[in-house]
Amino acid sequence: MAIIISENRDTTTNKVIDWCLKNNTDVRRINSNLCARLSFEISDEDDSVCINKQKISANEKIWNRRGKINTLPKEELLKTPFYNYLKREEDSLVKSVEFHFKSRNSYTGSYIKEVENYKIAHLVSAKKVGLKIPRTIVTNYKEELVNFYQKNKPIISKDLRYSVNISDENTKYTSIGTFEVTETMLDHLDTYFAPCYVQELIAKKVEIRVFIFKKKMFSMAIFSQNDTQTKIDYRNYNIEKPNRVSPFKFPENVEKQLLKFMNISNLDTGSIDLILTKKNEFVFLEVNPQGQIDWLSKYCNYYIEKYIAEELAYEK
Amino acid sequence: MSTAPIFNMHSNCIIVKGANRSTICDLQRNEVKLIPNDLQNLIEQYEGKTNEEIKAQYNESDYEVVDEYLNFLVEHEYAFFTNTPEFYPKLNIEWFEASKITNAIIDINSDLEYDVIKVLSQLDDLNCKHVQIRFFNVIKFSIIIKLLDYLNETESIVSSINFVVSFTKEFSVIKLVELFREQPRISSFLIYNHTKEDVIIPLKENHTKYIKCVTKNIKSASHCGVISQEYFVPNIKAYTESLQHNSCLNRKISIDTQGNIKNCPSMSESYGNIENTTLEEALHQKDFKKYWNITKDQIEICKDCEFRYICTDCRAYRENPEDNYSKPLKCGYDPYTNEWSDWSKNPLKQKAIEWYNL
Repeated sequence: MAIIISENRDTTTNKVIDWCLKNNTDVRRINSNLCARLSFEISDEDDSVCINKQKISANEKIWNRRGKINTLPKEELLKTPFYNYLKREEDSLVKSVEFHFKSRNSYTGSYIKEVENYKIAHLVSAKKVGLKIPRTIVTNYKEELVNFYQKNKPIISKDLRYSVNISDENTKYTSIGTFEVTETMLDHLDTYFAPCYVQELIAKKVEIRVFIFKKKMFSMAIFSQNDTQTKIDYRNYNIEKPNRVSPFKFPENVEKQLLKFMNISNLDTGSIDLILTKKNEFVFLEVNPQGQIDWLSKYCNYYIEKYIAEELAYEK
Repeated sequence: MSTAPIFNMHSNCIIVKGANRSTICDLQRNEVKLIPNDLQNLIEQYEGKTNEEIKAQYNESDYEVVDEYLNFLVEHEYAFFTNTPEFYPKLNIEWFEASKITNAIIDINSDLEYDVIKVLSQLDDLNCKHVQIRFFNVIKFSIIIKLLDYLNETESIVSSINFVVSFTKEFSVIKLVELFREQPRISSFLIYNHTKEDVIIPLKENHTKYIKCVTKNIKSASHCGVISQEYFVPNIKAYTESLQHNSCLNRKISIDTQGNIKNCPSMSESYGNIENTTLEEALHQKDFKKYWNITKDQIEICKDCEFRYICTDCRAYRENPEDNYSKPLKCGYDPYTNEWSDWSKNPLKQKAIEWYNL
């Protein structure tokens, strides 16, 4: 039996399940939008997790594609003052369940890795394995930021962890993704501010998105440089005329570096963004433990979902 | 060794050579661009060469044309120059499919002559996602609702439905737009016998869904099989499937108005009736899949056409009814002259038109 922890509208999960059905692999899906019936029993004899009336045995293969197991009957609790507290408690439980699975099951993907996605730590790890990284500063002090700008301009800024999604009564604030920081912006800053994440802007030939599942890599080049809208970040999508994409093949040494990076970061799956510079250097930008893979699979004809279904079917 | 950049096609822009001209099938942006065979020839011969190496093969008087060609390809992002072509492998052109049946046609006359719910239930077992339901007589709006309700209640795997219905006042645009909003499974409505020709996009958020009104009457399955540029599908999935399989009949199952199980309702071969045969049983009969692997490369005339891998096919109505590999009867395109004409007025097709009683 394979178990997929996901969200109800995730296309990739639907496609993986289609392939599981084709291969006669029993598969169970646990969606984070529904409250699962969960109990975790710890005793002298055995530790066991039971989800939706079924005990999870050690030979079941689990893939945490997206989201997490949800254990709070939300509707009733959402309006109470206890909700935030209960969510923190739940967080501890869900993480403990993941530790339990990781210790005895084949378990790919991770809720913990998704919430604890520290971009700065990843940059340091990437550097350790020999990948190039952009010069970076995180600071809450204007003088430092201006110095960094003078030395490294042009520079960009992006979210350190969470994209902006804040609403108050009248206004909704959302991120514009990665943007170039201008001198005018710096002029308007106070002496101190909340920490912000800034990097040198790296001129690119192409951007590269690589999805890794265990040791297998699926890479795609994004020719975002020809379009001013996507020049800074391909995620500022141009819907009318999407960036040209293409399957991509890394040189062997870079492939090794990427796998080593995953290894020292304790990641068994994730999507890495890189830049290929005009000098043919590969610059590591970030890793997303639960990234989008549908478009990558579709545009490069990779059948990633078929591959994952086969991995989930493999008997130990 | 030269360090000058090398001319390289983008891997999802594929050249298909025809008898008289070629196409660039942009399988990412879903577009088709016609190009002269001179340019096709340049690409075929000189991909992987530098600008200088290409020029060396031409006379100086041709440089202007060569530059124009190369600029055209780069500007439209069909091609690019690179020092590292080894980074950009060709597109994998394999085609795989998880479902035994990907699409189904259900034909219905006004009096329900067979159990449609039974068909829908069996399509679910086959993991069939796309269904077209064609009503050849006036129906009540409530019949549509009844079928959709069934799919919703059973959480059916069917994820897209095309309806073909006759126009009545019940099928007003306002009512249909609301239906599209409530029923995400609906992908299109074709309304025949309408008072005017029109195409309406009912949802702002999804431009692939449409309501099409036509004034002509659709009385039976014999309206089907028309080949037109409108039906070209320049995407990776359709292109790779058509390299190996028939672009209409592969993984298709149909029920005609009498409840007969067929590959296509317009074909005479039946593999049992839904009253006493399951779709799965019909599918396993010896000849059910006999047209599934007929590709355009095997079909007369189509095999020379520049549109062959993005075009639909039809094996039900053929120019020569006695030849399984004859060109679709309802195609008015001639790849040798590059002209589109009205197929139904072509004198050479009159005999076949008579044969099929069209």
